[in-house]
Amino acid sequence: MDDLSYVGRSIPRKDGPIKATGRAKYTVDVTLPGMLVGKVLRSPHPHARILSIDTSKATRLPGVKAVVTAADSLKIKHGFVDTPRYPADQYPLAVDRVRHVGEDIAGVAAIDEDTAEEALSLIEVEYEPLAAVFDPEEAMRPDAPEIHPSHPKVNEPYRNIGGKTATSWGDVEKAFAESYLVREDKFYCQMRAHGYMEPQATLAHFDYSGKLNVWTSSMGVFLKRAKLAKTLGLPYGSVRVLKTYVGGAFGGKIDLFHHEYIASLLSMKCHLPVKIVYSREEVFKAARPAQPLIVQIKTGVAKDGTILGQEIHAINDSGAYHGSGVVVIFLAWGFAMAPYRVPSLKYEGYSVYTNNLVRAPQRGHGAPKMRFAAESQFDMIAEELGIDPVEFRLRNVRKPGDILPNGDSVKNFGLRECIERVAERTDFKNRHEAAKRERETGSKVKRGIGIGTTAYFGGSLIYPNSSSALVRLNDDGSVSLLTGALDIGQGCETVLCQIVAEELGVPVEEVQIYAADTETTPVDIGSWISGLTYVTGNAVKKAAEQAMKKLLAAAARELGADVNDLVARNKEIFVSHCPDKTISYAGAVAASIARDRGDSIIGEGHFRTMKDEPFHPSLASTKGRWTENYSSYAQVAEVEVDTETGVVKIAKVTTAHDCGFPVNPALVEGQIDGQVSMGQGHILTEEIRVENGCVINPSFLEYKIPCSLDMVETDYIDVITEQYKRGHHYNTKEVGEGYVSGTVVSVANAVFNATGVRVRKTPIHPHDMLAALDRLRTPKEEKKSGRS
Amino acid sequence: MNKPAKRLISLKINGMEYEMAVRPNRTLLEVLREDLMLTGTKEGCDDGSCGSCTVLLDGSPVRSCLLLAVEAENREVTTIEGLAEDEKLHPIQQAFVDHGAIQCGYCSPGMILTAKALLDENPEPSEQDILHAISGNLCRCTGYNKIVTAIKAAGRNGKEGD
Repeated sequence: MDDLSYVGRSIPRKDGPIKATGRAKYTVDVTLPGMLVGKVLRSPHPHARILSIDTSKATRLPGVKAVVTAADSLKIKHGFVDTPRYPADQYPLAVDRVRHVGEDIAGVAAIDEDTAEEALSLIEVEYEPLAAVFDPEEAMRPDAPEIHPSHPKVNEPYRNIGGKTATSWGDVEKAFAESYLVREDKFYCQMRAHGYMEPQATLAHFDYSGKLNVWTSSMGVFLKRAKLAKTLGLPYGSVRVLKTYVGGAFGGKIDLFHHEYIASLLSMKCHLPVKIVYSREEVFKAARPAQPLIVQIKTGVAKDGTILGQEIHAINDSGAYHGSGVVVIFLAWGFAMAPYRVPSLKYEGYSVYTNNLVRAPQRGHGAPKMRFAAESQFDMIAEELGIDPVEFRLRNVRKPGDILPNGDSVKNFGLRECIERVAERTDFKNRHEAAKRERETGSKVKRGIGIGTTAYFGGSLIYPNSSSALVRLNDDGSVSLLTGALDIGQGCETVLCQIVAEELGVPVEEVQIYAADTETTPVDIGSWISGLTYVTGNAVKKAAEQAMKKLLAAAARELGADVNDLVARNKEIFVSHCPDKTISYAGAVAASIARDRGDSIIGEGHFRTMKDEPFHPSLASTKGRWTENYSSYAQVAEVEVDTETGVVKIAKVTTAHDCGFPVNPALVEGQIDGQVSMGQGHILTEEIRVENGCVINPSFLEYKIPCSLDMVETDYIDVITEQYKRGHHYNTKEVGEGYVSGTVVSVANAVFNATGVRVRKTPIHPHDMLAALDRLRTPKEEKKSGRS
Repeated sequence: MNKPAKRLISLKINGMEYEMAVRPNRTLLEVLREDLMLTGTKEGCDDGSCGSCTVLLDGSPVRSCLLLAVEAENREVTTIEGLAEDEKLHPIQQAFVDHGAIQCGYCSPGMILTAKALLDENPEPSEQDILHAISGNLCRCTGYNKIVTAIKAAGRNGKEGD
């Protein structure tokens, strides 16, 4: 590890200067000659039949170049999940029915924004409103309005069931019977916005060669290509999705968004470039918000705190279509079972249709909600048993090499070390005890400390499943990397260039990267299942290795030396026992071209996680491998609760992380800081409020994401387990998603430590906190948990 | 549709004079991005709440989405394009790059200009000064920690350069 030159170092990001100077072109900045403004007409009703759509007046308005409705489309459905069990369920333009406010009815393209707006107002739609339902538990009742028929394989008499995940192992009833203590609790997580600063935006140009060129603010170009090609009926080769800089995504820009389809269809109709940019209000009211979840959890433990069994019911309000609902109920199971040993478990998750907006994943996708439920309850159990929260976790944490019920191994899992190190750094046990004692004193500001943990997957088999990369040595010995990876702000371009620099012995600033163009770069897994550094990183490493091998072979021949005696450094190759015999990279490339019938030096690399597994695990039964690569972390939050205002402040969050080998530690810290901040919004201030299916706080003025005055002090402990020290520096794991979870959980537990108030619903509104503090002052007989 | 008549105005942006005919209802942000193609200034919310569109007006940060272009007449406008000299980054830009203060980069132009206004007035601000100065510039990626570090470093660097 010590002889690494570029990998493992905090190299400033390569795109820093272009972003700092405002020269980076985001989708909103791209313009083409003759470009039109596109706008979308949306349903004002949460649930209605469409009786007729008349676009004739809009079409006749001067300046309007194209109008499209479902009648212009192929009426091909799409979905975030599109499998035999969960076939695509959503038309990109509503055909005869709308199921949520904001559903796309028609698109217009006009010469300017005012004309486009006027054209929208001229489209006449006749609706027949239908009964609607917005609460998932109400939507499950047999007498609820039917949004879609329940899934044919779900046998329970519930309505509107889009999907179900069910799995179990061990004998849960027996475990509960043998338990010293059994608790059952219910927790609610709210609907949130991703808060990406660049709104949804797409520019589409269907040119006269029959090619659709698309610039779109996304999280991976290959998934967009696949979905556009399918819904538009075009071959993949006729759809080109190109790189733009992306102004944040956080899960909210994957899958096909209908404005991408509509801009494309409009351009196909008029052969002119069409750009659609959402207003911020439109982002809140019509794009996909983050998943809410209700978790009911029952846990039985032995007297010493050992978990014996768990029974979990999760209910997801998926909105009007599947979206990622049938995925989040699968993932919630994964985040329940991965970090701690649960010898017997019964899990059921339901994804329920409502007349709300369709949801997208958000950073953590299920983890913050499931860990919030599980670890709030951990602390409740620990308190009842008189065990310290850290001790409780250490008693149950998985060990390296544990095999999970789905067959995955947590192999080099560092969670135990993370918990120990973060507890030690923060003096957790003493301060936790001290805060409990001080709870009863008269001070109006109460301080507390809490811990939260997570384990997270790193890449799974979801289309495109794998990554390829090309590393090209140019004639002058300079190096170009071609990768399909799209940097959405996390810094993947920098990380991938560090890997090339390391493998080829060239300065990292000299590695040129060409990225994220479906026509000219190889396929990539995408910036959205926490596998990019692992999957793409290893593809890039293999490509660089292969290029190096070819380069050394050419050099060996030229120098008349054995290839095993060659050393490459700073674009020079020399013979180790005879350092005067050298050849430059440029010389070796020239020799390769001259001697090998024109062969230039190009290395190719391909990498797929879990290469022996054919598919993603079953979303319904959880059968099949999920990932080969579990990261883990433990976080401790220190909070202050003002008992007069009910306001909670987070003073500090300390994170001990096992993200595998950190290729760029500064970027790892940046990811953690961002997630602490996002977790802070989740637990304290952020909530999308909806009335009759319509978002009523569609602005940053009314939806409060953290600003600088809310900044949380952060501290990090890099827990590198022994395995990485033995040269496994491409054994990387997830670092971009799960820390939201640890922040949410540790703050909730710290609030209890400070005040005795147990948070069961996020966010913690000050008025709820005040009411809870009042209830504590006038104690009632609380519903006791069962004790055998 | 009746559109208001255009007005002839002269805008001074990054030291350059632009004679322009603009409708009086157009914001400075629209004119910068759409007419002058100065796309370094970003739009994030259109209601003044995010700060992505911050530019300097006579050295003070303003939200260009809330300012009509005609109101900027006879004032000095500085956008992010006016900060770096040739290929050399301004010390604040360099500090943002060096200290990991940039992730997606969408808020960076506005954030950097707000930082410049602060440091021009107070080259050695306290952490509280910095947090207050940038409190109107939302960043969703960084949690602000590394931005504060960068602004502190730029302040010191500026002093050393004197």
